[in-house]
Amino acid sequence: MKIGTQQRRQERIDRGIKVRTDGLYALMSWRELAYLIAPRLLLIGGLLLLPLVVPGMYWLRVISIVCIYALLALSFDFLAHYVGLVSLGGAFFVGVGGYLTALLNTGMGISPLVAIPVAAIFGGVICTILLLPCLPLRGVYFAIVTLMYPLFLARVIEALNILGGTDGIMGIDGVPYVWLEQYGIIAMLLLILFGLRRLVNTDLGLVMRAVKDNDQAVRASGMNITHYKALAVFIASSVGCLAGACLVHTYMWAGISTFALDFSVLPIAATVIGGGGTLVGPVLGCLILVPISELLRDFGTLRIVFYSLILLGFIVFRSDGLMIYGQRKYHQFERWTDI
Amino acid sequence: MKTTHGKLMMILVMAVLMGLSGGSALAEKPIVVGCPLSTAFLYGWDAERGVTLAIEEINAQGGVDIAGKKRPFKIEVIDTRDLEPGVPVSEALLAVEKLILDKKADFLIGGPVRSEAALAAMPLLSKYKKVSILTTGALTPKYHAMVAENYDKFKYCFRIHGEAKNLVGEIFANFGDLKAKYGFNNLFIIAQDVSHARGAAEIIKKVATDKGWNVTGLEIYPTGATDFSMGLLKAQKTNTEIINIWMDMPESAILLKQWYDMQIPALPFGSTLAAAEQPGFWDATDGKGEYTLCNVVNAGNAPSNATPWTMKFYDAYTKRWGVEPEGLGTSSSYMAVYALKEAIERAGSLKPDKVVTELEKTDIMGVYGRLRFDPKSHQVIPSTDPKEGAVGSILQWQKGKRVVVYPKSIAMGEIELPPWMGK
Amino acid sequence: MEILIYGTINSVALALYALGFALVYGICRLPNFAHGALYVLSGFIAWTMINTFGSNLLVAVVATLLVTGIIGAVIYRLFLIRVRGMEISEIIASYAIALAILEGLRWGGFKGMTYTLPVFIEGSVTIGGISVDYQRILVVVVGAALVAFLWLFTHYTRVGLALRGMAQDERAALMLGIDSDMMAVVAMGMGSMLAAFAAILLLPLGNIVVESGYNVLILAIAVCIVGGIGSWMGAVLAAFLIGFAQILTVVYLGSHYQMMVALLAIILTLILKPSGLFGQQKELEERV
Repeated sequence: MKIGTQQRRQERIDRGIKVRTDGLYALMSWRELAYLIAPRLLLIGGLLLLPLVVPGMYWLRVISIVCIYALLALSFDFLAHYVGLVSLGGAFFVGVGGYLTALLNTGMGISPLVAIPVAAIFGGVICTILLLPCLPLRGVYFAIVTLMYPLFLARVIEALNILGGTDGIMGIDGVPYVWLEQYGIIAMLLLILFGLRRLVNTDLGLVMRAVKDNDQAVRASGMNITHYKALAVFIASSVGCLAGACLVHTYMWAGISTFALDFSVLPIAATVIGGGGTLVGPVLGCLILVPISELLRDFGTLRIVFYSLILLGFIVFRSDGLMIYGQRKYHQFERWTDI
Repeated sequence: MKTTHGKLMMILVMAVLMGLSGGSALAEKPIVVGCPLSTAFLYGWDAERGVTLAIEEINAQGGVDIAGKKRPFKIEVIDTRDLEPGVPVSEALLAVEKLILDKKADFLIGGPVRSEAALAAMPLLSKYKKVSILTTGALTPKYHAMVAENYDKFKYCFRIHGEAKNLVGEIFANFGDLKAKYGFNNLFIIAQDVSHARGAAEIIKKVATDKGWNVTGLEIYPTGATDFSMGLLKAQKTNTEIINIWMDMPESAILLKQWYDMQIPALPFGSTLAAAEQPGFWDATDGKGEYTLCNVVNAGNAPSNATPWTMKFYDAYTKRWGVEPEGLGTSSSYMAVYALKEAIERAGSLKPDKVVTELEKTDIMGVYGRLRFDPKSHQVIPSTDPKEGAVGSILQWQKGKRVVVYPKSIAMGEIELPPWMGK
Repeated sequence: MEILIYGTINSVALALYALGFALVYGICRLPNFAHGALYVLSGFIAWTMINTFGSNLLVAVVATLLVTGIIGAVIYRLFLIRVRGMEISEIIASYAIALAILEGLRWGGFKGMTYTLPVFIEGSVTIGGISVDYQRILVVVVGAALVAFLWLFTHYTRVGLALRGMAQDERAALMLGIDSDMMAVVAMGMGSMLAAFAAILLLPLGNIVVESGYNVLILAIAVCIVGGIGSWMGAVLAAFLIGFAQILTVVYLGSHYQMMVALLAIILTLILKPSGLFGQQKELEERV
């Protein structure tokens, strides 16, 4: 076995069609156009068709939950792999967004259709301001501090007995039309997914990636890193707050458990499984993980054991994730060569 | 040969025919009872076992009689995980929706267990028009207040066990007795930081002050606190005679052990003290939990003779599960199934609105007294006399046994004081 | 007086929670999110030893320490070593392990509130008008002894010195012929044993429940962050700081702020001085 690997090695080469479609020439042939568009169309079409093909109302709701987690996972992936801020505080965004929209809706009687976007934007602002002091932190320090934020806020609400205390806020309106609720969130997910993909390839995205790779160099070029980090956090937390706001209106309830650890952990798990740094990967990860978790529900508590073992297996043995694997197979072919 | 074959055939045919006639109840489509419970916790499995027992009994008798047809019950339990820390309530709500939409539950009995989750599930229940009888965990008075406030929307929600305000009344009756008997006057309150316990503690404090008690302190501990020495020392220094505990978190066992080790001269009077409800509490504390009082909310969760049915239930449960009824939701979950059965039979259909109307007319002599729902708030009507309404049950740990000491009408013993109180 | 006594007890308890976490982080740079799970697991191992196999307390204690140590080492050797150095992956992987252990225990029937370990010595004593039970005094004594033992171990034994070398500069340690992977496994095993030690000492005060795993983890993180990651003495001092802060909050502010103390301490320390109060300065590694 050892001798075999010494004499042969596997090499990966880009497919011709991939190289050709890199440039403007892709527009010249249907085949190449199709090569470019097919995966995107598959995702968009798949997501849009999904609610029509699933059996029963219950699975429609599962799709909504998938989308909510996918938004969170997107926000995590964007921050972690394009700005270098690993945030374990998905629950923080969910909680802030959720409570904001709940207050807007119950306190001022604003319709969910207006309250959700407003909560997303203002939630983003609030999260950014609260996280501002932590922005200079790196790596694991930023991760831990963001992990503590939601736990702390939950305890504050509990101890001060504000915002409904442990009972939560009741009497929140649902989204008025069932199909709007269903497709609204899918449309938002797709919009944000492709928007973010655009963003990371603009100049702004370039600077953000530079902040991740070498912040000292960015600083040396006379750019204020904190400014860019704050902007990125605002984008990511707005997306997270949007997810939280949608969740609250889906279930017509807000409470301290919107700060629960699950909202921080699950999106990360999805990102790991789907493939970090691709933005599509996290969405894919959610599409796999959340339904699996629902299917395993009959096993009771054993479900979480299976679930965490899957996660462990992926992170330890397949840490690049499904999406990157898929991309490799799609764009490249492999062959063995003799040395 | 041929005759034996013929005989065999005859017997077989007979058997099949008999089976058909006898098992016709089972042939009908079962009525699905969904139980959204946090099954890994005391307040989850108590209800699961209670409901299962009742359903088995009813099915053994043929099932539910709907307009002449006998239909059996079928239980569908789903794990909501809502008592676990770090798990959002939305998970429990998804479980409830799964029960309703996927498992096609006709009725819900049991949870969600945590007050927050139970409240959050109410809009869902009205959205899907599912009749639900809450039987365990959630004690918040807000639940039936919501029903009373917005009857048309939340009329599908019932609760068959006692709630926090009622517990307060029962506890005060005991305080009054202790005061009369031993001259106790100093009361210290320890509560867990969840809204129903906090609310109850505030009420206790207010009522106690009005009734002339000297409230020496009110300590609220966050869920997960592991050291209670400061609170206990405060109680000791203020010559407190009764410590009233509102806690269902597991760490309450630390509190009680600490109380014993420090020999605090005050009676630990718990309500919903989940740790002390279980028969295993004695071993779990090495007997340090002696003299602890706790409120198991409804009779039947500890041995007593409230009604003829009480011990029958108690023994049946012990036989079926190999453990005595434990947890506040055991007898109530059991009775909820019977209440539902009678309501369905009277309504003659499974239509939610009809069943709601009939449930409002419920009047059963049950395990813990006469069960009737308040037609406005859908809360079971409490009483201290089992002939009048649902009775509570307060027990004290005495020499390794759970002894019911209140209400007087069903009591099996008297409250005893620890020797170091010297009274 | 009571503040002094119970503050000390509380602080030592915190230090016990945190020592294992601090050791593992200091040496392998592994934020071991499975720490709380190992703590609970060892409690149940001891319970099984005593109640199912009927062994006496001492045997159970030794066996529990060994078994938990081995489990920790095996977990590290099998899984965590593969993601070594990738801190975020380490966090997620160890958290997944924690979930698997805790939920697995729950599935295995270890639920409810009736599990407990026996105390070593029954009874209580009165110090300055305050009664304290022997188990709590034992916690303080053994805790202090443990810290002293660790100090001696890391300063005077070969393995201890190697561990310390790794903590200070892994590359230099490698050059001196220290097998860093092996040492990391050893460190994780020791960290797990420390978790088991804390469990055996502290669990008799209350009961063994799965949920406490999460709280132990958060308290351990709080102590390590405030004390300065990698600094063991810092962790001990921080335990006293947080321990007394908690007790003082209960006495003067109200007990329901108790849990906020630890969380606030984490956030404030990270924002103001991420290396902790007593950590070595490594400014560039932790902030820009």
